Amino acid sequence: MTELLSSDEFRAALEDAMTGREAKDASFSRAWAEGRLERKHFARWAENHYHYVGPFADYLAYIYANTPDSATDAKDFLLQNMWEEEISDVRHTDLLIQFAEVCGTTREAVEDPSNITAVTRGLQSWCYAVAMREHFVVATAALVVGLESQVPSIYRKQLPPLVDPDVYGFTEEETEFFDLHITSDEIHGERGYQIVLKYADTPELQQRCIDITRDGADMRFAYTKALYDTYVAPDLGAWESQPVAV
Amino acid sequence: MSPPISGPGSHNRWPSDLPRIRFETSDREIEFEDGQDVNLLRLSIRHDCGLPWKCASGLCGTDRILIVEGAEHLSEPRRRERERLGELLDDGVRLACQTYASGSVTVVWDPTQRGIDEDSAAGKRLKAQWLAPEPDGEESR
Repeated sequence: MTELLSSDEFRAALEDAMTGREAKDASFSRAWAEGRLERKHFARWAENHYHYVGPFADYLAYIYANTPDSATDAKDFLLQNMWEEEISDVRHTDLLIQFAEVCGTTREAVEDPSNITAVTRGLQSWCYAVAMREHFVVATAALVVGLESQVPSIYRKQLPPLVDPDVYGFTEEETEFFDLHITSDEIHGERGYQIVLKYADTPELQQRCIDITRDGADMRFAYTKALYDTYVAPDLGAWESQPVAV
Repeated sequence: MSPPISGPGSHNRWPSDLPRIRFETSDREIEFEDGQDVNLLRLSIRHDCGLPWKCASGLCGTDRILIVEGAEHLSEPRRRERERLGELLDDGVRLACQTYASGSVTVVWDPTQRGIDEDSAAGKRLKAQWLAPEPDGEESR
């Protein structure tokens, strides 16, 4: 890419980078939305998800430290995102653990890093590496656009069957983790886009943002697919063999 | 494809059947595709429609809006919105960050508004959390 894309072109390229690799379309997400999972599968999901999202404020803190003082709006966004994750109200990981416990696992099991797949470990490591080593706008593209902005589209499919008494039958309180992130990550995702559109101000930076957004979407898809392959396939069989939902 | 945007005084430039959110206080209108639903605060941020906001979690209440038209196209109030707004919900007030629209809606707000006072249920809960003494021997996380 040799010429700077316009804001609209750049945003479209970032969105295109995620097309076809969104985590909402991975096997575990689809089985979840179609009502095929059991509480023990959600427990395994929570044990893994904790080690991906638990350090999210840590990832953002590395980006914050790499962001120049001149980008005050970007720094403020990162700080606010960290604050909301950790201390604005109930800590978000505590909401995740609350859900995990009603699925039959324990806080100790959730916090134990030996209970996760190698792919989850890889996703967490990738998040740390990108946050620490990349230019702040490239890291923001990876973690906020590539990963966090996907959350509303995932949870808006997964929450309705969770609280449907005829499907999974959880209560509103038990599933607050999901409801909270449907709305908050709409805003975080949008602000992430705005920061990337504003501060990726060379063709080279724009291209790096597009590439790493694609990588981020690939990482989240692989993480989600691995959950199915590891924990669900032994019970239901390979996803490819599953009957098509009607 | 980005939705058409109208600027001040030009909200009739795209006469179409598409649903639209009219941000009356800033005189902006944003159309969106039929069959979609859109988060009202996200739409305002994306298209610079001027709605004040602070947090993104339904806690501060800075982004409260009065629904002038189209309330029937809005999502049901979420728990945080019910806690934060209380009786204001009955007066047609919503929190933009917590609200999705699936059809045309018109909203207004006070451009100088700040967060809701701490006497709300959510404010009391936060105050209790922050002011609660730590159990003996246990450090704050």
